[in-house]
Amino acid sequence: MSADLTTARHASSDDPRVMLEEAVGVFAPIPPYPPRTEREAEFYTLGDGEMFINMGPQHPSTHGVLRVVLKIEGERVVDLDPVLGYLHRGVEKLCENADYHHTIAYTDPLEYVSALFNEWAPVMAFEKLMDVEVPRRAEYIRVLSGELNRIASHALFMGWMALDLGGLTPILWSFIERDEIVDMLASLTGQRMLFNYFRIGGVNGDLNHEFMSRLGAWMSKATSQIEANQALLNENEIFVRRMRGLGTLDREAAFRLCMTGPNIRASGVPLDMRRAHPYSVYPDLEFDIPTRQEGDCLARYLVRLDEVKQSIRIIDQCLHDMPDGPIMAKLPRLMRPRPGRAYAAVEGPRGQYATYAISDGTDQPFRMRIHDPSFVHLQAVGLLTSGNLIADTMAIMASLDPIMGGVDK
Amino acid sequence: MDRALKRRLEARFGDRLLGPIRQRHDETEIRVAPGDVPEVMRALHDEPEFRFEALMDLCGVDTGSVMQTVYHLWSETTPDWLRVVADGLSRDDPRVPSVTFLWKGAEWQEREAYDMFGIAFEGNRDLRRIYMPPDYTSFPLRKDFFLPDDAARSPGGGVRHIEQAHAPSNATVDAQVRKAPTS
Repeated sequence: MSADLTTARHASSDDPRVMLEEAVGVFAPIPPYPPRTEREAEFYTLGDGEMFINMGPQHPSTHGVLRVVLKIEGERVVDLDPVLGYLHRGVEKLCENADYHHTIAYTDPLEYVSALFNEWAPVMAFEKLMDVEVPRRAEYIRVLSGELNRIASHALFMGWMALDLGGLTPILWSFIERDEIVDMLASLTGQRMLFNYFRIGGVNGDLNHEFMSRLGAWMSKATSQIEANQALLNENEIFVRRMRGLGTLDREAAFRLCMTGPNIRASGVPLDMRRAHPYSVYPDLEFDIPTRQEGDCLARYLVRLDEVKQSIRIIDQCLHDMPDGPIMAKLPRLMRPRPGRAYAAVEGPRGQYATYAISDGTDQPFRMRIHDPSFVHLQAVGLLTSGNLIADTMAIMASLDPIMGGVDK
Repeated sequence: MDRALKRRLEARFGDRLLGPIRQRHDETEIRVAPGDVPEVMRALHDEPEFRFEALMDLCGVDTGSVMQTVYHLWSETTPDWLRVVADGLSRDDPRVPSVTFLWKGAEWQEREAYDMFGIAFEGNRDLRRIYMPPDYTSFPLRKDFFLPDDAARSPGGGVRHIEQAHAPSNATVDAQVRKAPTS
């Protein structure tokens, strides 16, 4: 489709000085302006028998608000171009204008299914800036609640994955499993999803009776319940055959694509921040890092299932080793860290969550960079998808498990 | 702090480094000129004594007087994070070579830094805006971009996207701009 020069020109809604061929906001697959880069020019040039089709921004399998422009030939995807920004809130800028405690409330809703990890990384970076020693009990509580959140997130992943492939049952089961954990965390933190629980120097509240009794009841049946849920998919031949050999990623490509978390471990790299760059009390805990060699969608799925079992193991050790003591370090209300820079990374359910914070000596961070694994993983979709069927795009995207809240920041 | 890494870096890069190597907690920081980025990165990535295989993060920083791009690298040869800072990019026309020839995954992170700071990564095939709309003209994370009081209201509610009358070519450093301490 070539731009017809006689068509009416619209003033841009953002900048009245810019005139566009077509009003932006209509989700036309071809952008109404000339290509800006080499890659864009290449993508928006159609070959023989090819066509464009929009997937999103309200497509149910995009896990949020994502638009993907697919270039297809028949049923095969030739190439794709994800269009981001529908959920962009400018969290980094907002954090620069908030004081150190407030930033936690801003970073919380980034990846809303694993909110504790979004709090953990900035809190750790600020503690490094201020040389704060976190009490041991607080560290154990962080690990305990973090691993619970990881299980909840992986449970949802399992359901979504099946849903994107057309199976409706597993998501109902995984929501049951997740709701138990989420209610448990609600009794600990006061919130179901956006906990706002970690503080600089500790956590907001100590373990309480309701949380412990819920956790005890859940732990007694957790392993068997999770295994029963997993049998629903693992022994389903349609599911396994569909996933095996799809979207294969080898070791070198995974490093080149800057992948972390379960997605790189499914390609045979035992890169886990809890061991690769230990933090908190993880050096004292015993657990394995599950890896797979195949690097396909099935491997990415199975790695996450194995991780859930390791998380239960960690929770068990936390409950046994939990020391007594304070849950907060003694800190002033208004924090003015000395000028400096700090980088802190935690291993979340999707990969490395990291924060790079710069302090200039005032009570607000000078710069706060939030690194989100979903953002990095989503760009691999284009590479893994070309040559596959349209329906496989969703399977591959689901196996990488991006959350758009985190991608768009 | 990994003293051995510091010695290896000093021996290998020597006068390429701008200023001393800084170490604090579990981080080692080196500063290089923007033009040296590809060579330094290739050496860190390929040479057996470094083997920094993983690029963990790439971001831009506006210090108020200059621009920087900051790379965080991970290697199994050291317990430290290695932070490489490409320092001294001009605020009027920030340019730095791309590292997509080593890590294809840097492509979107460079697009983000371009979108937010206007840093041009030479060699990136796809340097266009990623979050902001295509007809957006300013760079929101720069220090001369001030947030209005209604910044938290959404564009969907009839509020326009915030724009600042500013383009990198006519940027002037305002006295009000918050500046990082010279360290």
